[in-house]
Amino acid sequence: MKKIVLMTTALLMVVGFSNAVMASPEEDRQIFLNFYKERFPNVPQDDYINGVYAIDPVGRENWEAIEEFPPYETAIDAGKSMWDTAFANGKTYSDCFPDGPAIMSKYPHWNKEKGSVITLPLALNACREANGEKPLKYNKGAIANIVSYIAYESRDQVTNVVIPKDDPRALEAYEMGKKFYFTKRGQLNFSCANCHLQNVGMVLRTEILGPAVGQTTHWPVYRSKWGEMGTLHRRFKGCNEQVRAKAFKPHGEEYRNLEYFLTYQSNNLPLNGPGARK
Amino acid sequence: MTISKKHLVGTTGLLISVLSIPLLTTSMAFAADAGNAVAEGKDLAFDRKKGNCLSCHMIEDGASPGNIAPPLIAMKARFPDKAKLRAQIWDATAANPDSPMPPFGKHQVISDAELDKIVEYVWTL
Amino acid sequence: MRKTKYLGILVLAFILVGGIGCATASSDKMSSMKTEMTADDATAAIAAADAARKKAGSVSGEWRDTGKIIGEAEEAAKAGDFAKAVKLANKAKVQGERGYEQMVSQEKLRLPSYFK
Repeated sequence: MKKIVLMTTALLMVVGFSNAVMASPEEDRQIFLNFYKERFPNVPQDDYINGVYAIDPVGRENWEAIEEFPPYETAIDAGKSMWDTAFANGKTYSDCFPDGPAIMSKYPHWNKEKGSVITLPLALNACREANGEKPLKYNKGAIANIVSYIAYESRDQVTNVVIPKDDPRALEAYEMGKKFYFTKRGQLNFSCANCHLQNVGMVLRTEILGPAVGQTTHWPVYRSKWGEMGTLHRRFKGCNEQVRAKAFKPHGEEYRNLEYFLTYQSNNLPLNGPGARK
Repeated sequence: MTISKKHLVGTTGLLISVLSIPLLTTSMAFAADAGNAVAEGKDLAFDRKKGNCLSCHMIEDGASPGNIAPPLIAMKARFPDKAKLRAQIWDATAANPDSPMPPFGKHQVISDAELDKIVEYVWTL
Repeated sequence: MRKTKYLGILVLAFILVGGIGCATASSDKMSSMKTEMTADDATAAIAAADAARKKAGSVSGEWRDTGKIIGEAEEAAKAGDFAKAVKLANKAKVQGERGYEQMVSQEKLRLPSYFK
């Protein structure tokens, strides 16, 4: 009898602990989805791929007008010629990515050998270096062009971030991305969640804060504020600097894990990059 | 030389009035300071690099305010104790860990003197 | 006779008031003399600021402008304005300390109440 009580208590403790501390990635995703559904009951789930324009009808009209002559078209063309042009050693990107160029939905993913999250720009630069080429800078320029081409060729693939069960470090990376997302940082002390979850849809001066779900589907983006194309990690940097935190290295561990966590929340949503933003 | 009582009174009065000129001007300056503090506080509250209150709060005549946080109205009713208002701007997360409001004082987004002026202004709203 | 007396008193009064003013001014000068900063003070303050910045960085808590402020302090020190250098360095040091505390206080992930 004593034994049974003890075992039950132990079992209860374990269950209680796991409930309090560790929600599974799938539970997290449901929390995000329900949160936005409650706040924007009329927005269909797939519309979140349009980012803030899913919840901002006025901004959406301007955006749709811009999309008639997409400002990212030249980037797609430049990216295509990069893809088609051989490296100095005669090989091409296709030699590294035989399924390419439509490979967007394979990233980010967990790499067991490297013990880290691999993003598409990391894989592209690894390919370049393996073929004796210089790696590209991560925030804008050529990298944004080639990723734009790949994104365009991958349109209508579906976001599918997998967290493999055979390597606990994959879930750890996800959890680190989650911790990053909820950590207040910088002199202004904002977390990602403060703006894109807690205050989603609210107006910050003149800007409407966009939802996290769908945030990763449409990169790279031509941003009018930038006057050029930029990558997802360039936007991460911009967000961090806006709250007066020192930005992290693009595709360094912090942003890799953040991308892993954030992209997971868009699972099952179609990919629609590249995009255009105000 | 003898100094008459009348004289003494007269000169003392003169001395007092002469001496009190600087005193008077300081007390006038105090009154002006209070008015200035409110005006300066308003400038600091509206300054995007300082209080930037309009980013999230609606304030009487402030242009294009955000709506993240409650409008700044009836502040004396909401904060009868001015020190509580100051503490809220110093670090809002002390009272509510989920508050997204930056800890303006604690993180030195504004100096203590600037915070005092902003408090003076906000308390008039 | 009377007029000169008044005049005398007036002059006296002004001297008195003016004298107080002068005395305050000179005591101000004295106190600023006492706190005058040297090149060594600036070097020490900058080193302390940079250590605080690095400590914040070690827990991913460095703020955007801390490095820039330290750079400005170094410039001021180079230009011989050690008081300004110390002031800037102290500001940067506090930033480093707050950034460190900010991250340490969140070492354990606390999910906000709205995430449920």
